[in-house]
Amino acid sequence: MQILVCLKPVPEPGTVKVDPQTHTLRREGSRLILNPPDRFALEAAVRLKESTNGRLVAVSMGPPNAKEILIEALACGADEAFLLSDRAFAGADTLATSYVLSLAAQKLGPFALIVCGKVSVDGETAQVGPELAAWLGWPSVIWVKKVSLREDKLFLTRVTDEGEEDILARPPLVITIENESYDPRPPSIKRLLWARGTEIPSLTAADLGAKEEYLGLEGSPTQVLDVFTPRHEGEREVITGEAHEVVDTLVSHLKERGLI
Amino acid sequence: MEHRGVFIFAEWTGERIHPVTYELLNEGRRLADLLEEPLGVIFLGPPEAEGEATDLGSYGADVVFLGLHEALASFRDDLYTELIIQILKEERPEIMLFSATSRGQALAPRVAGKMKLGLTAHCIAFEIRPEDKALVQIRPSFGENVMAKIISRTKPQMATVRPGVFSPASRQPGKKAELKSVAFPPALESALEVLSKRPRQRPETELVSAQVVVAGGRGLGNKELFDKLFELAELLEGAVGATRPVCHLGWISEDHMIGVSGHTVSPRLYLGFGISGALHHIVGLRNPGFIVAVNIDPEAPLMQKAHLAVVGDVREIIPLLIQRLKELKGSVTREER
Repeated sequence: MQILVCLKPVPEPGTVKVDPQTHTLRREGSRLILNPPDRFALEAAVRLKESTNGRLVAVSMGPPNAKEILIEALACGADEAFLLSDRAFAGADTLATSYVLSLAAQKLGPFALIVCGKVSVDGETAQVGPELAAWLGWPSVIWVKKVSLREDKLFLTRVTDEGEEDILARPPLVITIENESYDPRPPSIKRLLWARGTEIPSLTAADLGAKEEYLGLEGSPTQVLDVFTPRHEGEREVITGEAHEVVDTLVSHLKERGLI
Repeated sequence: MEHRGVFIFAEWTGERIHPVTYELLNEGRRLADLLEEPLGVIFLGPPEAEGEATDLGSYGADVVFLGLHEALASFRDDLYTELIIQILKEERPEIMLFSATSRGQALAPRVAGKMKLGLTAHCIAFEIRPEDKALVQIRPSFGENVMAKIISRTKPQMATVRPGVFSPASRQPGKKAELKSVAFPPALESALEVLSKRPRQRPETELVSAQVVVAGGRGLGNKELFDKLFELAELLEGAVGATRPVCHLGWISEDHMIGVSGHTVSPRLYLGFGISGALHHIVGLRNPGFIVAVNIDPEAPLMQKAHLAVVGDVREIIPLLIQRLKELKGSVTREER
């Protein structure tokens, strides 16, 4: 089976600071890591590739230093990796992002299955997977905790608000993988050495034949008008001092309020 | 042709209308009244759902688009998407809202992708911009501690709504909606076949209804200290919550996550240890009674938000607090004797 896995580079948690004046993100100095939920997607894709003797391609959209996460993907079992990188992609919302991924899926395929993580830890929208399916005109199933090939169809177990459902799906298909549903393997040393020496081609907007109207900030239908810090209301008390003192004060506060 | 109306998607769980639908109805009604436009509801489900779906009129809907068919008994992403798009193209509403549930999060981006529309996820508030009646969609920003106001340049303006944020609409007996049957295409096709359904085995986490929540963040430093929160929670008869980074560090499972894509809690007492207080976590606190933050950094956002900000080292404070609470319990037990 021919499989594509989409991996997002995200700033390492805690390294992003918000500029207090402009309210914009200061990303300088923040290291890019593989979006943690995407590890489960990668593992699901690698296992399916192995069990079907297939081929697994990994893609990421991001700046040049995002190649590090693709090396990791190769070391964990992907056969090939491509970086989608172009200044024209900058500022993309989920629609513009999924457009670029859909072009890559068409150029690098044909694929029977595209696997994405459930959600990214920076944006937390969980929209790119189903939007990618929509651009391709494919069906999609989100929050999949198990996927296997059953004859020419995919057997899926998806998580819902009420429980779980088993689904038989006709490929091609996009799925997002439920967090913690697979146990991601660490990169193998042998594969890591191979990955470090493997070329990871960069594809630009021109390479993908992208239409400018759908790209980047300009091609994004959502716009951030403003950001604001929510107001803090009500009384506030600060306790400082030696640990045993503050614990005593804390306990008496909780007692006074009938909370303990 | 101009766009008109506020539409919401009413969700069928397979047995009943999802309670979050009534929250959307309430907020949808408010927005429709502000715009002086009708409130429309799209309902897709099996024929036996007709009674409940028709009754959505008594919860404030002006029009209910009823798509009742055996083929819609199970939620199938592709089929549902096509029917919703058909209705949106015919009716051209200003606004289309979904709830951020397992179905809403599957559908809304499919609809947005196919119609090339903007979509804002997990909104917690809406405003109507006076000058042009645009829908201002409010959600935690990508940054650590700001809310973003987002607008869409496309129509219908689409958003998913975080469950539990808006109060549900109340029933007004006698109020009725106009009913419109969805015209089905000749064949209702899908690439998906739902073979079986199993209800959740584990009960919904006790966190959601807990009166006391003891939560931990990365500031705890290691899993060993995080695990002590369970002892603390037991002494306080509460439940343990966590931030997203902690779940990804593997200290605890995502069942305990509070925040944007985790649980919403509304305890009488919330204690946050080593939690900086990123908005992505904070939005999971709904009307908390009393917030205590314990952090070495007095400037941490949660320390600013807390009713009681305890400046100190969690490594010292947690064991001492456990000890004090044990002593208290002991003395209470002795007094009772």
